[in-house]
Amino acid sequence: MSEEKKELITTEDAIEGRREFLKNVCLTGATALVAGPASVSAAVEAASADADTTVAEFFQGHFVLMSDVEKEKAIERLEKRYTAKYEKKTTVSNVPAPEDTLFGYALDISKCIGCRRCVHACVDENNQSRNDPEVQWIQVMKIPKGNFAFSADKLEKGYPETSQFGDYGVQVGGNAHTRVGGIGTEEAQSHFDDLVTPDNDHFYVPVQCQQCEKPPCVKACPVRATFRDSAGVVLIDYNWCIGCRMCQLACPYQARRFNWGEPNLPKEEMNPHTHYFGNRPRMRGVMEKCTFCAQRTREGRNPACLEACPVGARKFGNLLDPESEVRKILATKRVFRFKEEFGTYPKFFYYVG
Amino acid sequence: MHSLITPTKFAVLALCGLLAISLGLYKSAESAEQMSAKTQNEPLVTDCYESREGYTTVTRVEGAVPQYGYPNIKCSQKTGAVLWYGDPYEGTVPMGEMPEITDATRGNYANAVVKPREPRLMYFNMGPDGCKTCHDGKTVPAPKNKKPRELAMHQDIVENSMQLMHGRGSLWCLDCHSATDRNKLENRQGVQIGFNQPQRLCGTCHGELYIDWRAGIHGKRTGDWAANGKKRWWVCTECHNPHTVQVNRFNPIKQEAPPALPRGMKNADHERMPHGEH
Ligand code: HEC
Ligand code: HEC
Ligand code: HEC
Ligand code: HEC
Repeated sequence: MSEEKKELITTEDAIEGRREFLKNVCLTGATALVAGPASVSAAVEAASADADTTVAEFFQGHFVLMSDVEKEKAIERLEKRYTAKYEKKTTVSNVPAPEDTLFGYALDISKCIGCRRCVHACVDENNQSRNDPEVQWIQVMKIPKGNFAFSADKLEKGYPETSQFGDYGVQVGGNAHTRVGGIGTEEAQSHFDDLVTPDNDHFYVPVQCQQCEKPPCVKACPVRATFRDSAGVVLIDYNWCIGCRMCQLACPYQARRFNWGEPNLPKEEMNPHTHYFGNRPRMRGVMEKCTFCAQRTREGRNPACLEACPVGARKFGNLLDPESEVRKILATKRVFRFKEEFGTYPKFFYYVG
Repeated sequence: MHSLITPTKFAVLALCGLLAISLGLYKSAESAEQMSAKTQNEPLVTDCYESREGYTTVTRVEGAVPQYGYPNIKCSQKTGAVLWYGDPYEGTVPMGEMPEITDATRGNYANAVVKPREPRLMYFNMGPDGCKTCHDGKTVPAPKNKKPRELAMHQDIVENSMQLMHGRGSLWCLDCHSATDRNKLENRQGVQIGFNQPQRLCGTCHGELYIDWRAGIHGKRTGDWAANGKKRWWVCTECHNPHTVQVNRFNPIKQEAPPALPRGMKNADHERMPHGEH
């Protein structure tokens, strides 16, 4: 399978480390741990799936490194567990990322009105815990207008030159590369609660995972549970994640969310169309974040946040296709990246339409 | 089996146990009332609106997407807005004829669908002949000229016809509506245009925006992300009210609920306080 080649994980050591750890636990107290009432793993929450299945899920390997047969079995186990738990037919897809694609996102901050429909659409799609803990992958900041600046000079400069350190990141053309503008987050609010929106003295900046080309979270993960796929999207194998939260600390965008408690996802609100690396229900003690709706975008459909945006401020597409909306925006609009100075090269762009 | 436990393995186990207990404690600290309050669902909002209130409405149908058994839409309990689509093409029709734009990168509309506007217009659906039910030349006589005058009708659409809130005094009804066939719009070249294709009208005056719209930059397209995929193109009047753009280009809408406050915090004043002396 081509996916296997592309989503290659190189640090065998890290994986071996986790294996060892698990083996030790296994030898000594596997039964106690798995049957224990408050164990850390997903294994336990599946009250209705049989014990063999849950133990197998607990000890499964990194999904990317599994053989096709192992993958099939892992998916089967999950589908069985979810279908029983949420009392509806649940599919866990394993479609690979499309070929010749680099996913990118563009958001028009001159249009965004801070209505938060994207935030809630994301929750409806991605099976986050609804309350206590409430988990949301998009945070909308409301920022006084003075905090936004553009440099017309730099805008004229066009394509970037290779620096002394080499030529990093995606060359998407236009003004995407040079720092033409930016936003200060001084006096930003994210708990604002107004009757109607927008408030014309402010602008609004939704922030979610920026899908960096050089993702600091991937570097920080000691077990390589989080990785970049061939379409440039940073994903997580929730079963492989050990919940150490190093990635959360590493992310300059505060885009990662940790399941401190057992996710609280009512049966009737659960979305049964899931992907292994996308919106399948998570368990306590693992990290999660925006995946550009892997379950949708890998099947060709736009992300849920884009579909919900009433003003059309959100654009998604293939950065390698000059016909795509994102590429046209990069070529014709004033574009910048958030916290560009961190050198993370996000594939999430902000622009002024 | 227990004799196998070496000191290090024991430490690992002990740590596991601690972690498990602390997570358990966190869990039990949650208030039970809060949980039950949210899980007891209020009646679902089922008649929902899309971009803005009073425009396109959609009714929630359970099990509308048979493969997964999910509803056609999910709506906000707070505002009644549509938040999530099971099927992005529900209720759409092919966009129909569009004038060519020669630039090769623009104007791919072979797979374009739109939601028709005609079924949404109150006046259009008052009789079998649409607007012509009244505007048949007899019941309501055809206007003699295009000069603005006070109207005895349609105040719900245009409050004061002498002060149309579009074009800063330079436009009147008959710059957009056909004088002879009221079921149609009419652009400045005298081409008649259906209500389902308002972009062809707006485009004649707002060329720059129209080009952006054709390129997918202005406005919104849902469905496939691929440049040549099937997409629902949102038409101008789904977002703009042509009779009030001067008051609001885009009418303000209600806001969805803010995120939960951090644990133990009673309000979000910490965000609103100016930090230090600046
Ligand atoms: C219930 C009958 C009725 C229907 C249905 C109706 N109109 Fe009218 N409309 C009137 C009357 C009556 C006037 C003339 C008012 C006046 O002259 O003071 C009018 C005037 C107008 C005018 C001002 C220009 C003119 O002809 O004098 C416009 C524009 C217009 N209507 C558009 C429409 C459109 C578009 C529709 C369909 C979506 C529609 N109307 C449906 C009754 C109707
Ligand atoms: C800028 C172009 C423009 C002008 C000027 C304009 N209209 Fe309209 N009008 C439209 C469009 C486009 C629609 C269809 C709206 C939609 O799809 O929601 C419409 C719809 C209507 C309708 C049907 C609304 C409904 O919901 O049933 C009436 C009635 C109407 N116009 C009357 C008028 C009158 C009266 C005037 C002048 C005072 C006027 N219009 C001026 C573009 C215009
Ligand atoms: C006959 C020409 C004409 C047509 C047709 C027309 N407009 Fe306009 N529109 C104008 C003019 C003139 C202005 C005022 C521009 C200004 O104030 O700078 C305007 C202003 C606007 C504005 C506000 C822009 C601003 O800067 O305040 C919006 C939004 C708008 N039109 C949308 C539409 C839509 C949507 C349609 C189609 C239903 C439409 N227009 C059709 C001439 C037209
Ligand atoms: C998905 C919703 C949406 C659609 C569809 C849409 N617009 Fe807009 N449009 C907006 C928003 C939001 C703004 C920004 C409003 C503001 O600045 O307050 C805007 C701004 C505008 C403006 C004024 C801004 C400027 O830069 O001068 C015009 C004119 C306009 N639109 C015309 C059109 C026309 C013509 C179409 C159809 C071809 C269209 N719009 C389709 C949402 C939409």
